[in-house]
Amino acid sequence: MNTNQKIAKVHLTSRFRQLLVAILSVCFGISMYIAMNSFMAGVNNIQTEITFSSMSHIKIYNDLSEEITPIIPIPKNSNTVLMVNNARNIQYTQGIKNADAIKNELLNLPEIKGVALQLNEKIFIRNGVSNTSASLSGIETVNENKLFETAKYIVEGNLSELDKRSDGIILGVGLAQTIGVKTGNTISVSTSEGISKTFKIIGLLESGSKGADRTRALISIQTARQLFSKNKSYATDILVNTYDYNNASEVAEKVRKLTDYKVESWQEGNGQLVSSSLLRDILAIAVSLTILIVAGFGIYNIMNMTVNEKIKEIAILKAMGFNGKDVIEIFLTQSVAIGLIGGLVGLFLGNMIVQMLDIVPFKIASHNTLPVVYNAKDYILAFSFGTIITLIAGYLPSRKASKVDPVEILRG
Amino acid sequence: MNAISIQNINKHFYDPVEFQVLKDISFDVKKGEFVSIIGKSGSGKSTLLYLLSTMDTKYNGNIAINGTQVTGLSQNELAKFRNEQIGFVFQFHFLLPEFTVLDNVMLPALKLNKRTKDEIEAEAIESLHLLGLKGNELKKASKISGGQQQRVAIARALINSPSIIMGDEPTGNLDSKNTNIVFDVFKELAKERGQTIIAVTHDDEFADNCDRIIELSDGKLIRQ
Repeated sequence: MNTNQKIAKVHLTSRFRQLLVAILSVCFGISMYIAMNSFMAGVNNIQTEITFSSMSHIKIYNDLSEEITPIIPIPKNSNTVLMVNNARNIQYTQGIKNADAIKNELLNLPEIKGVALQLNEKIFIRNGVSNTSASLSGIETVNENKLFETAKYIVEGNLSELDKRSDGIILGVGLAQTIGVKTGNTISVSTSEGISKTFKIIGLLESGSKGADRTRALISIQTARQLFSKNKSYATDILVNTYDYNNASEVAEKVRKLTDYKVESWQEGNGQLVSSSLLRDILAIAVSLTILIVAGFGIYNIMNMTVNEKIKEIAILKAMGFNGKDVIEIFLTQSVAIGLIGGLVGLFLGNMIVQMLDIVPFKIASHNTLPVVYNAKDYILAFSFGTIITLIAGYLPSRKASKVDPVEILRG
Repeated sequence: MNAISIQNINKHFYDPVEFQVLKDISFDVKKGEFVSIIGKSGSGKSTLLYLLSTMDTKYNGNIAINGTQVTGLSQNELAKFRNEQIGFVFQFHFLLPEFTVLDNVMLPALKLNKRTKDEIEAEAIESLHLLGLKGNELKKASKISGGQQQRVAIARALINSPSIIMGDEPTGNLDSKNTNIVFDVFKELAKERGQTIIAVTHDDEFADNCDRIIELSDGKLIRQ
């Protein structure tokens, strides 16, 4: 420890209460930074989890072509007038006939984690006098569960039962309530083409999204193909999950080369999700940086007071031959010490707050406590921001101290 | 070689109104001389001392100390120069209150960093004993009496064996007994160690016993 550091140490330790307040303000700033960011990251993760519990990263379906092919070629001769009234864009094919072939090709791509086929149609459900419309999904139970962990949201019954019983159906809890049925009851399902079939309710689904639970019904894809009289490899949607959902757009671009069907990444259809997650991140960083800056002002204030209090001593040190750089070192050492101690304590305190949030009961999606994330990056950033801010907050008063004119002070 | 040599010193204050404090002052001080600067309040004697101390650099003229031209040196060079060559004793002793007596004495030598800490400590203790402060080494500087504090300040001024010791009313705050102690220490330093001593004082008795008196009046040198 050199002489300047020794002086800094005496200054710090001789006023314990001020030291404590300064350390606490840094500590508070850093722990709040960690808590805010861990919590926000947790919320973002839950949001993503909820989003992708029913939505895939990439969806392939048969869409109306955007270009309208002209019915009659445009005449080259300018003397001919072309008149086509009320031209319409008509869809000639429905669904994807050879879904299995596309699925096998997709599974060869290294970025793709899983593929599930779905056959989605509007249906009409009847139970005695009560009836309602619903959207029926014929699903591949194993693949569906791989992509969306559907089994986690089945509150009664079992997802794999769908494969065992061709007359089994799983209803959303809201839907079951609307038509007044329970597990074990039978209902009648009719398609838009007028075909009716009786199904037995073998389970209930609660995904967390009320709207979806009020309309959703699941059967196995084979049963669905039969119900709508479709071929063996038929599906309306091919749902694809990638390893990293942030890459979905790039992977979608690759998939477009493999098929002529419409390929849509989740970002294209859900701009609001991308921006709300970004907004939450901005908010978390803005709030936590503000807290850190306020802590910085606290240190600035305390160091400024210290410099004012010690102005006579600074003058004496200068008279004895300490130069401006020594004085800066003396006071900067003090704020760095405050920053480092406060920072380390803040890391522990922040971690404790996060652990406490982690056990606060709160029901959201499949979680029973507040969502948090333990991310080393948050801790490193909090510590470095904290020390940088203390450095700046300490440097300004130190510079002021180094400029003290000893003559003015000593002459009184 | 002269310990201090100043030529044609002029100094102005500009705040609140322009005012010339020192008017064309020149004199030399020999090595080992015990000089006191006297004069009425406002005659410019303290201002002159602070110019000699190298802390105040805003003046016209030329100052050389021990053959080194100090006029025109940078603040950092001056700080180093003070550390090695000049010791200070102020009217209001100005110790660092949170440090022990011993630390206060040792600080300038620790800053100079030419000897080991043990050597410095041994010398500081010896010096404190000579000044009659035995047993007070580890007390906080704020916990001893005014006369003792002034003697600690002298021990501090001596620690780097400076060639010049400057005092701004070093006895101004002391009773006659302590004044005599301080005076005797100064006299001895000048005689035995050949250190030059310059003190601003109001005390006529103190001044009369010095080797030489420099008197200022309205910024002009009237006796040297």
